[in-house]
Amino acid sequence: MTGFLDISFLTVQVLSALRLAAFLFLISSGLTLIFGVLNILNFAHGALYMLGAYFMFWVTSQVTGPGGFFLAMAMAPLGVALIGMILEMGLLRRIYIQEEIYQLLLTYALVLIIDDLAKIVFGAEYKSIPKPAFLEGAITLFGGTVPTYTILVVVIAPTVAALLWYLLYRTKTGKVIRATSSDREMADALGINMKALFTLVFAFGAVLAGFGGALAGPARTVFPGVGTEVIIECFVVVVIGGLGNLWGALVGSLLIGALETVGIIVFPEFEMGLIYLLMVAVLVVRPWGLFGKPLKIKALSEKNLSFESQEISPVHFSSRPWLWVIPVVLLLIFPAFAGRFYQYLLTQIFVAALMAVAFNLLLGTTGLLSFGQAAFFGVGAYTVGLLLTKTGTGTMPALGLSLFTSAVAASVIGFFCVRLTGVHFAMLTLAFGQLIFAIAFKWYGFTGGDNGIQGIPVREIPLAGLGLLDIGSTKSMYYFVLVVAGLAVAFLRRVRSSPFGATLKAIRENGQRASYLGINVTLYQWTAFVIAGTFTGLAGGLFALMERSISPEIIHWTKSADPVLMTIIGGIYTFVGPAVGAVVLIVLNSYIVAWTEYWALVLGMVLLLLVLLLPGGVIGFVNEKARDYLTRSGWIRRWLFSKSATS
Amino acid sequence: MAFLEVRDIVKSFGGLRALQDVSLSVEKGEIRAIIGPNGAGKSTLFNVMTGLLSPDSGEVRFDGERISGIPPYRVIRKGIGRSFQITNIFPRMSVFENVQVALFSHHRENRSALTLARNFREVTDEVLAVLGLVGLADKFDSSASVLSHGDQKRLEIAITLACRPRLLMLDEPTAGMSRFESRETIALLQKISREQGLTLVFTEHDMDIVFGISEKITVLQQGMVIADGEPAEIKANPEVRKAYLGEEIAE
Repeated sequence: MTGFLDISFLTVQVLSALRLAAFLFLISSGLTLIFGVLNILNFAHGALYMLGAYFMFWVTSQVTGPGGFFLAMAMAPLGVALIGMILEMGLLRRIYIQEEIYQLLLTYALVLIIDDLAKIVFGAEYKSIPKPAFLEGAITLFGGTVPTYTILVVVIAPTVAALLWYLLYRTKTGKVIRATSSDREMADALGINMKALFTLVFAFGAVLAGFGGALAGPARTVFPGVGTEVIIECFVVVVIGGLGNLWGALVGSLLIGALETVGIIVFPEFEMGLIYLLMVAVLVVRPWGLFGKPLKIKALSEKNLSFESQEISPVHFSSRPWLWVIPVVLLLIFPAFAGRFYQYLLTQIFVAALMAVAFNLLLGTTGLLSFGQAAFFGVGAYTVGLLLTKTGTGTMPALGLSLFTSAVAASVIGFFCVRLTGVHFAMLTLAFGQLIFAIAFKWYGFTGGDNGIQGIPVREIPLAGLGLLDIGSTKSMYYFVLVVAGLAVAFLRRVRSSPFGATLKAIRENGQRASYLGINVTLYQWTAFVIAGTFTGLAGGLFALMERSISPEIIHWTKSADPVLMTIIGGIYTFVGPAVGAVVLIVLNSYIVAWTEYWALVLGMVLLLLVLLLPGGVIGFVNEKARDYLTRSGWIRRWLFSKSATS
Repeated sequence: MAFLEVRDIVKSFGGLRALQDVSLSVEKGEIRAIIGPNGAGKSTLFNVMTGLLSPDSGEVRFDGERISGIPPYRVIRKGIGRSFQITNIFPRMSVFENVQVALFSHHRENRSALTLARNFREVTDEVLAVLGLVGLADKFDSSASVLSHGDQKRLEIAITLACRPRLLMLDEPTAGMSRFESRETIALLQKISREQGLTLVFTEHDMDIVFGISEKITVLQQGMVIADGEPAEIKANPEVRKAYLGEEIAE
């Protein structure tokens, strides 16, 4: 290396940082614009980017030559805009009044659907987009060799930024858009056609994503799922800059572009972790981002309370606790009737159910959407995996320590996260989660890096005076996980029905009122975060035992979506909902994967229908129907449920 | 020293002075109204007095202790209850649970995580007693969100009372109520504060109510106290008449 002060080296690096920043800015400016006006954090924005690149690929393959290239560059963003308009008018429009979680889930479902559709239409392989000859080469600048295409990107992006500035600050529509993003009610009062404006803004954001894809496509490659990588980087950019703030997106893009370029040179082992580290650092110091302002908290009355009465429905089994004996007995005798495949399947479900139930103490009970729950699952799993492979620790002490390490991790991460709310909270948990993912993925010496840990020995458990318990077989593992996860779930149920649980619910419903009852809201949120993280860690520990091998994949943010999906599928405001969701998701997965490779498409469709038609989830729906039925047939009600005042 | 002492409070937002050297003192057991036209600073004063906002200067003392600048949850624990202009309850919880959670907090039992809530029998009895007091006992198991507006306001009063405050601060307790509902609510508040020896500080737009029940009245205008005294004095005060009340209390 000739050193940093070498001018040719510097030129090359600066331009490569600028190129990255240019791509990031194009995509994230659309993301932040949509958030600013529609108040929706669009997970599908990365998928729109991908579509832009695919459209670019398709048009250039139909019309060759430089003409085709520039035609494609113009057509691709328009195609994406059209799709954006269809999505906004057909789907998003229905959920503006819903709670954040449903908005996030809907756009997440779109990611799954669009990714698989792209796979069906364009195939799963990586596509590269040919550049016209005059953009193919490289030029020499200050002694450094820079690809011509980089120059084009670095020139075009600021042009787009300037155009964007002009549109937003110098045109009437732009002024209306900015007014709406700073005060929606005021805009409404001024008689602005909000419906049309929302569609316009979403389409415009889609144009930016599509253009980003079209421009980046020839420089990178395109493949189904590329959007999930891009969207996370863009989240980092807009969260660092301040959600909804265009200048924030610009500064964030430059920062990330510079950091990644420097990171690759100086800190190649941890380049990926650096951007999450930066995001965490910024949010710890400035919770709303560099240019962001605290969001106005939506009043509860504005939200859709269509499933308001679920939790206090008469469908309580509290007065007949022995009813729980039935499922417990069924699970205990299950292995006598079912083969090893089903025993394994159910063991998987127990682990997932524990994770989801623990997670829902945060989401359903306390009202905090964590998008980094996989981090604690990973901490638990790696604790058990490392202790058992590298030391002679017994199975039970290792599992016990997984509770401890995940509790410590949750205390530290939670301490910073609970100061934020809503989307910001979700984004900070996501950043911490990805930071832990980066550590597990890159730290070969300790965690095994992307190889993970294989061949975790599961030692026999000494039972005081009764010899050794071998949990090596599928069946004995089934019973072991059933008992441990079962006890943990019973514990969580008790917590939820305690005065502590009631306090968490009060915080979810109305934090301000709760603090005016003398409740230290932040402290309770933190405690809930730690409990949820700890039991998620236990689930991870059990996972390491049953699978006997782990990889960093279990910490990736897409895994953090699992408990969210399970909870929403099963029913957010019920205790058993997340567990039911775990059953649905895992059973669906193992059957549909055998039947089609487009599992994500099916899951996306299921989610979409759920968000639009059954926001209360399966159990919420059953409760509602049961209530309707039971209020008509009095004797069943009298038999099954007591009218105790306190249940 | 008075039971509640507000001394020289200054609070600005940006360049706007919302409160300028506001002082007032309330004796134990007193019923005090704080009135003034919209934007006079009543809600800001309430927010400063209950810890939601920190004053730029000045202090608030309650029962001899300084309470300005400490967070609301600690102000409340000293024995102050507050209700809000906009109904502020726990909508997706039952009426019973709304009051129950307040009582758990009052008894410092909300940290018990391993005992079932329904096993706190004394709390259950207390909840029903408080609900009986405000006339909501028969609606204990309905969802708070489906109550009528008047019932929601009463529920909020029940939540506030459950914490056994010594000082009750009510920000427009009858906002949005029908005339009949307001009368009932006011009669209820009067009865409770008399029975329990509560000190009551409230803001209100309805002058019939203000002059009907308060023992002393403080008048705010543009962030300043322009008058302070018994209802008769306030009625007679020319400055008050000129500034604010003029037509409304003209006999």
